[in-house]
Amino acid sequence: MLAVEMTGDSVKAKNGSMVAYDGTMNFKKLTGGGEGIRGMVTRRLTNEQMTVMEVRGHGTCWFADRAAEISLVHLQGEKLYVESSNVLCVEATLRTGTTFTGLRGASQGNGVFTTTVEGTGQAAIISDGPAVLLRVTKQHPLTVDPGAYVAHQGNLKQSFQSGVTFRHFFGEGGGEAFQIRFEGEGLVYVQPSERDTIAGDV
Amino acid sequence: MTTPVIFDPATLPSDDNVNAYTFCVELRGSQWFLQKGKMIAYYGRIDFNGVGHGRLDRLLRTSFHSPLHASDWVVAEGEGKMLLADRAFDANSYDLEDGNLTIRAGNLLAFQPSLSLKQSIVPGFLTLIGTGKFVAVSSGPVVFMEPPIRVDPQALVGWADCPSPCHHYDHGYMTGVLGGLRALTGIGGTSGEEHQFEFVGAGTVLLQSSESLMDEVATGAVPQQAGVPGARGSDDGQGGSGSSGRRGQPGHRGQQPSGPRLPGQLGDLQRRFGL
Repeated sequence: MLAVEMTGDSVKAKNGSMVAYDGTMNFKKLTGGGEGIRGMVTRRLTNEQMTVMEVRGHGTCWFADRAAEISLVHLQGEKLYVESSNVLCVEATLRTGTTFTGLRGASQGNGVFTTTVEGTGQAAIISDGPAVLLRVTKQHPLTVDPGAYVAHQGNLKQSFQSGVTFRHFFGEGGGEAFQIRFEGEGLVYVQPSERDTIAGDV
Repeated sequence: MTTPVIFDPATLPSDDNVNAYTFCVELRGSQWFLQKGKMIAYYGRIDFNGVGHGRLDRLLRTSFHSPLHASDWVVAEGEGKMLLADRAFDANSYDLEDGNLTIRAGNLLAFQPSLSLKQSIVPGFLTLIGTGKFVAVSSGPVVFMEPPIRVDPQALVGWADCPSPCHHYDHGYMTGVLGGLRALTGIGGTSGEEHQFEFVGAGTVLLQSSESLMDEVATGAVPQQAGVPGARGSDDGQGGSGSSGRRGQPGHRGQQPSGPRLPGQLGDLQRRFGL
């Protein structure tokens, strides 16, 4: 559960994720992720829809979603890439947007676009089980299962690896046929659980 | 809210838990068996091969004796560190020293090839024999109990050092027609706890603190052979045709027939190939 203290300022949070508050709060649904007409159209086109609300007021507001674990990310001008379904709450000082991620999304059924959060402030992301933060450096690239990927930040290049061989047609695949490889410098968040992916059983 | 710890290949533990739900295995040219699809991330160069892979023949001969589960297991080999996790369940590693442990098939996440995996005669369970490390998951932390004990079937994760398990039915199940009807229909109310597994003898019983199970995967059937528990006999032989060649096996009658077998069907070999 995430507690946010507010003094007249606002946060953007996943629709319906408020579980309690004290003080005075205003909840306003933001159509199209609160990114204006252009953001709305982009989100609709990219199928990276995110229903968020704006919470403004004085007091403390608590957010939670299906008992998922919450990780707080402090951003200082960097950009965080996160699946829209994993965004719980972001500070109003952060800008959200949509970006193309390449083939990774296609394998996990989340679409080929992802949500970006940038600016200075804090963002709360949720994961099924506590997220593990893994550092990627030039010497140590990281390979991640698409179903366990939550978010990443930093200057990372991601590439999609497919290890499908003739063995898969005999049902003797390695079980990890689709992977995303991160190279560069940055951080990757993975969750100790795998979403149901199209490729999950291959 | 604790400050997040950032891991890199140097700070990740070697063959230990990263957190309660994630386990890190270090491979140095060595091999680990793991259940398909449970790897969440890895550093380094690691190959995943289905256990049918020809190169693994020698390894399989010594460590893998469970053909029915073959399509659920892969062998990871290479250099690096990999993270294993399963549905945000609690993951724990156990060391077995010249011992034996039987575990529900879906709860076993990975094991070292120094252990050998065999199918338990209890359907849906696997037995590990030997010395080595293995990783198991459970919904909620594992509780260790000493027999004699009766446990709820859903809470049972496994048992070690061979206490003998058996079914236990409450007295009410057997008292007359009314008791039977009650159990069958639920009319009049049942507590849902009329049936337990009973363990006696020396050993340890592992329980999970939740009654949610992993999805069970159909793993085919054990060879149809006289005296093999769980072997579903083809009951069509009872009509007198004698086609199954099983000479008079009464007592197998009550078990579920496996359905008609098509002529071209390769027994349960199909399972072996993941069909």
